[in-house]
Amino acid sequence: MPVAFITGITGQDGSYLADLLLSKDYIVHGLVHRPDSVGSSNIRHLVADPKIMGKQLFLHNGSFEDATHLRRVISRAQPDEFYHLAGQSSPRLSLELPEATVDSVGMATLRLLEILRDLDHRTKFLYASSSEVFGSPSYSPQDELTPINPTTPYGAAKAFSQQMARIYRIAYKLPTCSVILYNHESPRRGGHFVTMKIARAVARIKKGLQKELQLGSLTGRRDWGWAPDYVCGMWQMLQADVVDDFILATGKLHSVEELVQNAFQSVGLQWRDYVKFDPDLVTTVEPIAPCGNPSKAQRLLGWQNTVGFEEMMERLVAAESDKLG
Amino acid sequence: MYKKTAIITGISGQDGAYLSKLLLSKGYKVYGTYRRTSSVNFWRIEELGLLGHPDLHLVEFDLTDLGTCLRLLHTTGATEIYNLAAQSFVGVSFDQPHTTAQITAIGALNLLEAIRLVNPQIRFYQASTSEMFGKVQAIPQVEETPFWPRSPYGVAKLYAHWITINYRESYDIFGCSGILFNHESPLRGREFVTRKITDSVAKIKLGKLDVLELGNLDAKRDWGYAEEYVEGMWRMLQADVPDTFVLATNRTETVRDFVIMAFKAVGIELVWKGNAEKEIAEDAATGKLLLRINPKFYRPAEVELLIGNPAKAKEKLGWAPKTTLEELCQMMVDADMRRNNNGASF
Repeated sequence: MPVAFITGITGQDGSYLADLLLSKDYIVHGLVHRPDSVGSSNIRHLVADPKIMGKQLFLHNGSFEDATHLRRVISRAQPDEFYHLAGQSSPRLSLELPEATVDSVGMATLRLLEILRDLDHRTKFLYASSSEVFGSPSYSPQDELTPINPTTPYGAAKAFSQQMARIYRIAYKLPTCSVILYNHESPRRGGHFVTMKIARAVARIKKGLQKELQLGSLTGRRDWGWAPDYVCGMWQMLQADVVDDFILATGKLHSVEELVQNAFQSVGLQWRDYVKFDPDLVTTVEPIAPCGNPSKAQRLLGWQNTVGFEEMMERLVAAESDKLG
Repeated sequence: MYKKTAIITGISGQDGAYLSKLLLSKGYKVYGTYRRTSSVNFWRIEELGLLGHPDLHLVEFDLTDLGTCLRLLHTTGATEIYNLAAQSFVGVSFDQPHTTAQITAIGALNLLEAIRLVNPQIRFYQASTSEMFGKVQAIPQVEETPFWPRSPYGVAKLYAHWITINYRESYDIFGCSGILFNHESPLRGREFVTRKITDSVAKIKLGKLDVLELGNLDAKRDWGYAEEYVEGMWRMLQADVPDTFVLATNRTETVRDFVIMAFKAVGIELVWKGNAEKEIAEDAATGKLLLRINPKFYRPAEVELLIGNPAKAKEKLGWAPKTTLEELCQMMVDADMRRNNNGASF
């Protein structure tokens, strides 16, 4: 059985990736940095399954400050594929916590690459990078050749990690690559993200638990895809003959207004009756919204985003409604 | 109305929840910090009915980021800081010694440096722990007992303890260190042995679990009720002079005693058989196996006996524990019976 190692396994992408790899009969090792939160995380269904936990899925306490411990754990696991998804995930928060962000998002990757470089076992390595590395891009849509030009500490740290993965590929001939991910959503999204914030509010308004939804602005636009497809793309990247960098995106832009409209529509409500504007919530809007060109991944990997924008939002609202019972 | 403003680091933990309840009831404005993860959880604050309280502000924060510490003190205008945040799992600290040192030791230093730079009048509480006594040098332990930590966690906490005293002596900062012995409650995490026991006993009683597995049953601990201990923290920062205090009950019991108490709380009596790694406990009424030893829960270096004498806190702060271990155990078992009956427990 192939062996995979996932950092960030309790996050949205890590948990879908664990589901996918377990269904493909992989042995999966996951790194968790808080033993107390695993039971309520996105992998709680796996942890609670005695046929999987400790048999096909192994969790290790660990964090990136402890390089010696990581080295021990990874050497023992001998992974064939390594998916590095962990890291503080908010560009906005990185302006508040720049040093901690650069440690967890940037230096962490370098430590992992150093460990893999010394392994006797040949391990394919994928780094989950982000469209934030393009910052305010000079053209749209962006592709794998678009200049890197981050505008937040988060974006700069992601760019550092992505460049390091490329440098190790060239300098040491290691199979290391990055996936440049545009926004991708699912019912496992954290409540900090705008899609989930809207879906949760709409579900609560429909049930009469909440009266209105406060938003900063409706004009922001993003390229939103379906997370399980993006995770599948990551796996496809490491199955390719040549390990290389790819963009995963839909190539289509939608506005927050469309998010809101679709979300309310899916439960038969008019958004204008419920949305209130709070100037405190306005964040800077990019002059050019990030929009990715997925044609390389489509051409070389046969990758597709299978769930369209409207259906994605419907599914998020439906999942939040189910949680309310 | 004038309000005092406090920062509590580690707001999502047991003590953070009880302390915010206490400070809010006294009219404080509270900034509670937490470390963002994909699974951050405020169930404790929610269970105390404080989520959404207008004077409670939850702030994403990282103690290892000095720049952010400075900004937090500056922007909140806090007059008191309670440093409860830590990598607090003793077992994990053996796997993650660097992380534990960064958060638990250097994190305290970062806050003290920030106080020194931003406003040396800010009063500082450092959450020290009986784990610093480790291989104990005297029984019972008091403020003057020499330390001998037995885990990277204990060593890191000892650094934070001494650096607090050092900043008190060097820069006249009002820094207090509270050496708290084990303090438990229904809000304890299930990674801690008492809560693991009460949650498992509830699950066994309800037929949701077969057997409870534990490590060293002979470890002796001094267990008090957490809600009373956070009151002691607050009193330390209201005193005339900063000082170091032990908060404890001056009674020690084994893990085995706590197990017996917890099963008794749901009406199950135990019969013990075998010893060391082979020791088991059965239901006296039915003969069903209820407890066995799993050596994976043994610590690399065990702390055998902790018992603290809180006489100084009683004399200078008027603080004394009230809840007995039997009452505490009953309270925890009742809460876990209720939670497991309603579906799930955290």
